[in-house]
Amino acid sequence: MNFRYTMIGAAVCIFIFYLGLILSLFYFVSGKGFLEALTHPYTLFSIRLSLTAATIATFLAVLIGLPSAYALSRFEFFGKRILDTFLEIPMIISPIALGASFLVFFNTPLGELIQNKGFFFVFEVPGIILAQFATIAGLATRLMKASLDEISPRYEAVARSLGSSPWQAFYRVTLPLSFRGLLASIILSWAKAFGEFGATVTLAGAMPGKTETMPIAIFTALASANIDKAIVLILILLAFGLLTLYSVRLTGKRYKYD
Amino acid sequence: MIRIEGLTILFESFKIVNLNIQIEEGGFHFLLGPTGSGKTLILESIMGLRKPKTGRIWIGDKEVQGLPPERRGISYVPQDLALFPHLTVKENIIFGIRARDLDMKIYEEYVQALIEVMRVDHLLERFPSNLSGGEKKRVALLRALAPKPKLLLLDEPLSGLDPSIKVDIQRLLKNLHASFHPTTLCVTHDFEEAYFLAYGTTIFIDGKVEQVGKRDDVFLRPKSKKVAQFLGAKNLYGAKVLMNEESSQRWILGINGLQFSVPMSLYQDKMEVGKEVDLFIRPEEVMIIREGKPIKGSLKRNIFEGKILDISEKERDHLVYFQTTEGKIPFEISIPNYAFRNLDLSTGKMVRIALREESLWVMTESTSLICQSS
Repeated sequence: MNFRYTMIGAAVCIFIFYLGLILSLFYFVSGKGFLEALTHPYTLFSIRLSLTAATIATFLAVLIGLPSAYALSRFEFFGKRILDTFLEIPMIISPIALGASFLVFFNTPLGELIQNKGFFFVFEVPGIILAQFATIAGLATRLMKASLDEISPRYEAVARSLGSSPWQAFYRVTLPLSFRGLLASIILSWAKAFGEFGATVTLAGAMPGKTETMPIAIFTALASANIDKAIVLILILLAFGLLTLYSVRLTGKRYKYD
Repeated sequence: MIRIEGLTILFESFKIVNLNIQIEEGGFHFLLGPTGSGKTLILESIMGLRKPKTGRIWIGDKEVQGLPPERRGISYVPQDLALFPHLTVKENIIFGIRARDLDMKIYEEYVQALIEVMRVDHLLERFPSNLSGGEKKRVALLRALAPKPKLLLLDEPLSGLDPSIKVDIQRLLKNLHASFHPTTLCVTHDFEEAYFLAYGTTIFIDGKVEQVGKRDDVFLRPKSKKVAQFLGAKNLYGAKVLMNEESSQRWILGINGLQFSVPMSLYQDKMEVGKEVDLFIRPEEVMIIREGKPIKGSLKRNIFEGKILDISEKERDHLVYFQTTEGKIPFEISIPNYAFRNLDLSTGKMVRIALREESLWVMTESTSLICQSS
């Protein structure tokens, strides 16, 4: 059997598998019910909530993740390996376990203190952001570290010798050079937050019009046998997901490094 | 004047102990050592990217050891050049002037002069990915020199180039130094490169300085067998001091029954009769005598007869492999092509060779040399 065609055939099989799954959704779509589900206030709310929460969670993850990724990529320090291992916690424990851990935390004295100060997370919108942040912070840091690893520290060394401070060397040289990879990391992290279910539903609950994000809305629609709504939400989720993932492949200009 | 004193670096398997280098203002100093000897670590420590265990660095009267890299006034050209790929050649060149917040108007004329000497005026709007290897080297050198550094650090500046481009860049580097006089410290393992460009040389082997001196002091008169071997010494022999010829003020050395004469004045008081020493002469310092031609005085004392065993032709010279009849001592002799054509040499031919006394170099563990760096 031709080697090349065997390999490409395997890739096409995966494509057909997922495409078949998506197309099968349209089997249950009825025009009127579909439109009603799409324009329902709770559907529109869950779309808005998902977009907002995922964006804020991603912003926070990048805010802390980018300097962390830089530190892990460039410096040697005590506990680096342990820290690096901890980044993978969200990948090894189930999202529900992560959400449950938060529930337990907010019942500890420290957790109660935080809530008593007026910062409410359990069954609240900030809980969604916190759950999504917890799910993606490690991933975002890991992905951004991989992007920074690609850029030789030699560029910064030269920039420093030419008179740049460490901050200037970072934003004048490292940041533009790793921009494409960093942007891809951010988009992937956002997509992951956008589709997050387990930790969010455990910490923030599934209250329509309050804490119901799109993945949660799909779950509740299925639980109440509202197939039209479930399919509408799945298709929107898919559209956003595919759009963002495809945009990763179109991001920025790739530089040829020496 | 650049002074580096007592630099000690301990990093992973590298151990560099008590490195001292002095470079006069406008000097071109080479730190020459084998590949993997930690030369880049030394540059990074001088630049301030790596903290040495001990050591002090002065640029002029100012000690810079406690300063961050951006405040030392040292420019660095790494081996991989690290031209910023997201910036054009022009933006790369003026990067240092902008980063140091210098007035571009003051530097404009100087930068233009550099651009002309480096022949990059037609490349200014290009990105580094569209440059050839030689062009990249030129731009990297220019970028480093543009903010007028007090010290220029070069890490293997001619590595990875085609031979013809290497010669071109070598000449350019020499012209550049002659025109702008940047105080330069260059690390390399390529002793030919150092021979072409250096004023001062530090030989650095196994984490220690083996010899410091002016170029000819080091290349023609290596301090030890280790240095001579690192510098690719071909005609290196174990010899014994046979006698002290007071009347002519010469030491007589013996190798396989043959006697070699060297002036006493070159070796102060470190030689003694019976001592085992190493004798060295560079292949280009061995002369084949043309019969019938008069022989100069300094050549008359060391004349040996023998046979040509083989001849190989190189780009600029011929290598003649000769063996003395008595003692069977082999010599490698390098003869420029234009001179070779006049000598009528062939394999198996019997000829005489003459060794200039001053070109013979005797190495003892305690040979006392007066070495100066520049």
